[in-house]
Amino acid sequence: MTTESESGCSSSCGAGGAGCASQKLKKQLTAPPTTQDMLRMIVSLTVVAVLSAAILGGIFLWTEPIRLKNQAEREAKTLRSLLSLPDAASMEEVRRYQAADLSVLYLTKKNLIHLSQEGKELERQASNLSSAEEYDQWVKSRYSVLQPKPVGRFFVARENEKILGYVIEGETQGYKSMIRFFAALNADFQLQGLEVLEQEEDPGLGAEISQAYFKNQFAGRSAEALRSLEVTKDPLDDEWKKALEELSSTAFTPWLEKYGSKVSAHPVIHAITGATISSDSLTQGVKRAVRHFQMRLELMKGAL
Amino acid sequence: MQLILRGLFEENPVFRLALSLCPAVAVTTSVKNGLLLGVAVAAVQILSSATASIFKQFIQPKVRIPVFTLLIALWVTVIDMSLAAFFPAAYEQVGLYVKLIVAFAIIISRLELFAVKQPVFPSVLDGLGMGLGFLLALVLTGALRELLGSGSIFGLTIIPFKPLLIAILPAGGFIMIGLIMALFNWVDVLRGKPLPKDSGGGHG
Repeated sequence: MTTESESGCSSSCGAGGAGCASQKLKKQLTAPPTTQDMLRMIVSLTVVAVLSAAILGGIFLWTEPIRLKNQAEREAKTLRSLLSLPDAASMEEVRRYQAADLSVLYLTKKNLIHLSQEGKELERQASNLSSAEEYDQWVKSRYSVLQPKPVGRFFVARENEKILGYVIEGETQGYKSMIRFFAALNADFQLQGLEVLEQEEDPGLGAEISQAYFKNQFAGRSAEALRSLEVTKDPLDDEWKKALEELSSTAFTPWLEKYGSKVSAHPVIHAITGATISSDSLTQGVKRAVRHFQMRLELMKGAL
Repeated sequence: MQLILRGLFEENPVFRLALSLCPAVAVTTSVKNGLLLGVAVAAVQILSSATASIFKQFIQPKVRIPVFTLLIALWVTVIDMSLAAFFPAAYEQVGLYVKLIVAFAIIISRLELFAVKQPVFPSVLDGLGMGLGFLLALVLTGALRELLGSGSIFGLTIIPFKPLLIAILPAGGFIMIGLIMALFNWVDVLRGKPLPKDSGGGHG
């Protein structure tokens, strides 16, 4: 039936004028579908879906390696600038996985350490892996791991076998979503800097946590000082704010020499105006991440 | 030309047709975000309009909506993946919203109202016009909101304090769009044109 009306229409008004097209459309839409219609529907949907899938697959194969490379490069750059590392220094990633039985796995470049829930060492074996993807596959092929993503990873910076510092990755519940951050520690566990990697806080309010005047308030705090670090709603004085902003353009050591006395004169974190929840959650997150990291390092006992 | 200008002013998707207001409010907290998403939307609109117009004979009218949705999803994902690979810094800002372009009412409405009935070239022009109209709306709203809410434009501080913080919050976004809509209407009245009585769009 449809074919009849179609041919009739095209013969009466030539190459399908707009009025004719809409008339045709109306007829096709109101008529009950014939078997042929149904077949055409199935075929056109299938063809579109298959073609789209093929195009997307191709584009994905092309862009995904570039994306991953960019991401790794950006991460590496952030890590190095946080610790202001010399070029000769190397950076090693340590991954942490949680197995289905709640035991924990730590994977370094050379070792895999398997700890029970209570922190007792179950086994330790040698591993020799180079890339992050290899790490993941290696662990997954041997253990049933809860998260696909490693949780609580950290990085060790070395120069000639001497440890220069650590960068810990941490996550904390923000006002809306999880805030992911990097915290840099020197070999004595003094905080050198903080970098917020992902956050979805309110712009103009909570999103200010990634600004120098807030995140740099953590720099120069020792692990002991951090443990009792509190957040205050008192406003930030201008002099201290300027000093904090300066850290973004200078290296940590000269900055601490210049402003060390100021750091100890401000034993609290000044919350962002109108964003006490975001300020507090990042502070608690940093405290927790450093505490857990110190505990974990203890448990790993010389595996680095 | 007529087709492009129509998308910009007469049938501006945000200020005239009042379509896709939610994303418009969500991303326009700064000019840069607005500009980036605007470009992404324009690209998706042009590509989808062109594809729908090219393949209009093969699309069974009864399944045209799912087919359009698939087409839009295809182009959105292509843009999404390309942005992630080639402009990672920009993607970090608007990545979340790019995926949402699939559900933007403006795109599917242009396919349904224009692209399936018209040849390829006018469809591309219409897509370009609507895309640019959306871009204009996002940039304009973004600029005003950023200026009032953060005192800056493109991240450059212009006013050293924050004059009106509400402008940057979601409620402020709706207020700002409403004010610009009113401005559009006011300009029309000044030019002696009657106000649109029943603006539902779709005069294609």
